[in-house]
Amino acid sequence: MTEEAHLHNSGLAERAHRVRRNALIMAETQGQGYIAQALGVADVLSVAYFHAMKVRPEQPDWEERDRFLLSVGHYGIAHYAVLAEAGYFPEEELTTYAADDSRLPMSGMTSYTPGAEMSGGSIGLGLPMAVGMGLGLKRKGSKSFIYTLMGDGELAEGPTWEAAISAANYGLDNIIALVDFNQVQADGPSMKVMNTEPVSAKFEAFGFFVQRVDGNDLPKLVAAFDRAREHPGPQPRIIICDTRMGSGVDFLEGREKSHFIRLNPEDWARAHAALDARRAQ
Amino acid sequence: MTTAALGTLTPALKAPDIAASSIDEGHRTVSMPFGRALIRLAETRPEIVGMSADLAKYTDIHVFAERFPDRFYQMGMSEQLMATAAGGLAKEGFIPFATTYATFASRRCYDFMSQAVAEQHASVKLIGGLPGLTTGYGPSHQATDDIAIFRAMPNLTIIDPCDACEIEQMVPAIADHPGPVYARILRGNVASVLDEYGYRFEIGKSALLRGGNDVLIVSTGFMTMRALDAARDLKADGIDVAVLHVPTIKPLDEMGILREVRRGGRLIVTAENHSIVGGLGDAVASLIGRSGLATELRQIALPDRFLDAGTLPVLQERYGITRSAMCESIRRWL
Repeated sequence: MTEEAHLHNSGLAERAHRVRRNALIMAETQGQGYIAQALGVADVLSVAYFHAMKVRPEQPDWEERDRFLLSVGHYGIAHYAVLAEAGYFPEEELTTYAADDSRLPMSGMTSYTPGAEMSGGSIGLGLPMAVGMGLGLKRKGSKSFIYTLMGDGELAEGPTWEAAISAANYGLDNIIALVDFNQVQADGPSMKVMNTEPVSAKFEAFGFFVQRVDGNDLPKLVAAFDRAREHPGPQPRIIICDTRMGSGVDFLEGREKSHFIRLNPEDWARAHAALDARRAQ
Repeated sequence: MTTAALGTLTPALKAPDIAASSIDEGHRTVSMPFGRALIRLAETRPEIVGMSADLAKYTDIHVFAERFPDRFYQMGMSEQLMATAAGGLAKEGFIPFATTYATFASRRCYDFMSQAVAEQHASVKLIGGLPGLTTGYGPSHQATDDIAIFRAMPNLTIIDPCDACEIEQMVPAIADHPGPVYARILRGNVASVLDEYGYRFEIGKSALLRGGNDVLIVSTGFMTMRALDAARDLKADGIDVAVLHVPTIKPLDEMGILREVRRGGRLIVTAENHSIVGGLGDAVASLIGRSGLATELRQIALPDRFLDAGTLPVLQERYGITRSAMCESIRRWL
């Protein structure tokens, strides 16, 4: 790794740390939530927003921006964590998460939050919407990419595959789909709820340029995002990111029931301490 | 069933009658009013794009596709994708007209229209062919419940145009409307009736096409054409029938409807090419109830059941939505 790359990656590590801290602040205000997912996907979102994407947080509707579609609406907490770090809204607002009249509802919606481009939550809308935006951006001659974050459970949704077929059919090389493959969904381990493997082979067969990476390894994520943007072929792109639920907070990593976590008040301080300890390493 | 058994059946009506447009005798027709109106509009509006889920030819949008091939997106047989991708195109500043049959538009697309389009204020125009009982294919293709399904969706405008004259005016009007719209349309050779009344379509406005002192028919879709014909027939019997056309089911023209209903002294009849559950009749009944009026209401509508397969003239008579069946019902109720 060059010194420049090393510095860049350590900058990303600091960003990812702050994104995790933001997520903990939000979860603590509610005492519960999708914190394990937010910690797990923090590296992916940090590389997206602070390495790959072309955005202007002070001008969320800037025409030349790269688009980001949060298909997994309950990852709102993760998205707000990165949007606050990027400066879309003040960090102080994080403590309003999921409160009445907050701009940060528990499930992400476009009309509520600066920088939120879609209303997700009904799982399976992200990739189909990316197809429409991909067609529209091509019609406009735009060079912008559309990123969409999906969960691994989402791969069981039919519309995801309808969209995959059409994205390849229309040569939508401006789509970069991201899958947070954390192996957990509402009813249990994802591949036990519905085994969608082999996922890479499926997307390859559907005509995608596919990469599967460790979603908690910043240099590998950086390389994967770079390849996704620079790949010369006319295919839509997908990065399947194997992530660890709760990543960065040791006592939450590997916790068996982690889809929706409730913690005692004292455990939130413990979580912050664990995060800080890892940063010091 | 064996071929031999099939050979013993002698259909009274032939295949074309199964999917024929609902044109009653004596009316001028216009060919493909929706597709042609969309082409006319798109000539000057580059943001208009077309989509279909493998039913372009059967919703008249194929002529738009031929005229503007690079502005038409064939989405294949995937209505859910089409509705959601239409939302994506709208986010990028386009105005997509997306077509399929009304059954698939409503039953298949509901969540996608709700969450990817209506909740996100996307300017998508979803166009459903084969409204109500306009095909003999059976319940899979008979959109008897599309309006009931869509009426529950916030932020969605719902239009059931009567004829070619109205479809031609509706296309530019809904393009100019900033939000999502669902319209169910007739295709092929479509009767043109309302031009005789100097009719002007406006979203959310009803139109009194004919005055009358004995009966008020509040109708939508092509049932307005039949109501006008029935009114002429009943006049010969000395029954004076008014016809209030209500093309926009949502938002309902409550003031316009109440103004006519409040006149009093008339039998109030709603008429629609839709199930008796959840359509115009229910909307008018609830409006009357909420307004504190104690007015009896009769409904001409399709029954709350899966309809038979067969030929249209027979089925429409069986379910009471032909001109003659309307006259018979009204005479009975008076």
